[in-house]
Amino acid sequence: MSEFRLDIISDRWVIVAPERAARPTDFPVERRRAKDGFCPFCEGNEDKTPPELFALREPGTDPNTPGWRVRVVPNRFPAVRPDEPAASSENGLFKRIAGAGIHEVIIETPRHVLSTREMDVAQVADALLACRLRMRAAAEDGRLAYAALFKNAGAAAGASLGHMHSQLIAGPVVPHAVLTEIEGVRRYRAEEGTCVFCRTAEEERRTGDRVVAEGDRFLAIAPYASRFPFEIWVLPRRHAARFEGEDQETLGDLAKVMYTVLGRLDTVLGLPAYNTILHTAPFAMRDPDDYHWHIEVIPRMTGIAGYEWGTGVHINPVPPESAAAALRGEGR
Amino acid sequence: MTTVLLVEDDPNQLLLYTEMLKGEGYDVSGAKDGREALRMVEESRPDLVVMDISMPGMDGIEAMSRMLSKDHKLPVILNSAYATYKDNFRAWSADAYVVKSSDMAELKETIKRVLAQNSAESGG
Repeated sequence: MSEFRLDIISDRWVIVAPERAARPTDFPVERRRAKDGFCPFCEGNEDKTPPELFALREPGTDPNTPGWRVRVVPNRFPAVRPDEPAASSENGLFKRIAGAGIHEVIIETPRHVLSTREMDVAQVADALLACRLRMRAAAEDGRLAYAALFKNAGAAAGASLGHMHSQLIAGPVVPHAVLTEIEGVRRYRAEEGTCVFCRTAEEERRTGDRVVAEGDRFLAIAPYASRFPFEIWVLPRRHAARFEGEDQETLGDLAKVMYTVLGRLDTVLGLPAYNTILHTAPFAMRDPDDYHWHIEVIPRMTGIAGYEWGTGVHINPVPPESAAAALRGEGR
Repeated sequence: MTTVLLVEDDPNQLLLYTEMLKGEGYDVSGAKDGREALRMVEESRPDLVVMDISMPGMDGIEAMSRMLSKDHKLPVILNSAYATYKDNFRAWSADAYVVKSSDMAELKETIKRVLAQNSAESGG
């Protein structure tokens, strides 16, 4: 039986329609694969990228040479530019803001690996540390409203290169998805007196049906109103509005949980394409009660068709309870 | 004489570029797609490759990537009418990018610049 489920944070409905898939893992997955040829992100090929902005390096090694563990470079063809003067204008219906901002690439490992499974927890922690430092640098820019940190893995998720990397795009606007969640957090707090993400984490831990993995400080769940098969949210268990405010120990626990979650996703589904998207508080948001940062993991196994585009209501053939069980290694 | 390999699937454009570059004093050879270009580079390494992107069989970014995996230092200029390469991280490996135009001044200047840069880096 299919059913409509409501995500009370975003006020968004989904249809969970399990009869559309025989078993939770029955999907024609387009596996991520290594293309033959030269990779500009591999160690030794530093001359093929713009000069690095930041790197975690072995002592005694020079910038833009081998010896790095994580490397951050500006995008050679950025969507927004740091040298664009901040400007905006409004002409009746038509408002514009100049594309001033930062577009960076975080190269997460010197080796040409396609999966988190081929990394170790320390490497994932290094990548998260680099992301946090670049987020802080973006926050200090002063002209920027929000930084989106995301990963495209696999061609179906928008990646043109298999080598594990993330991107950061910071610009002068706050995305609608985050504004909607902030409204949801405020609405729930006004009605219930607590954070809806904190309550979700408590409730999901209590029942356990949709829990995928758990660390000392983080919880990974298949959200109740998952839009996509095997969608996962990774939530801090303690209330925190912004990712870039977390300390190194917390990032270490996050690395363990992300390593587990992404590794299981690759094992259970066979290297599917996926996106990870960080949702964090806008730079100018002052009240830490207003948001609870988290990471969304979206496997790209189903298309977005006319119904989804036209209504915003997604049809998900895999109940999140089944997805979580499969990712925990049960019921296969 | 400096050798240039032109990779271009449109025979009229291939002829036009060939004549233009011969006029600049280069020794020019042509390939009609990525696979033919790979074979030609294996047989005789040119000093520079000018590569179209959108071609049947094997596109220019794929061909460049395979060439560089064997010879990291081979200079390649991507020469395309489209800007779609900007979405592709593999295109970062090129030494320069030229948007196709009936005015070939930019391509001529870019070839000179890349050759000079490559010569300086290799101590030539």
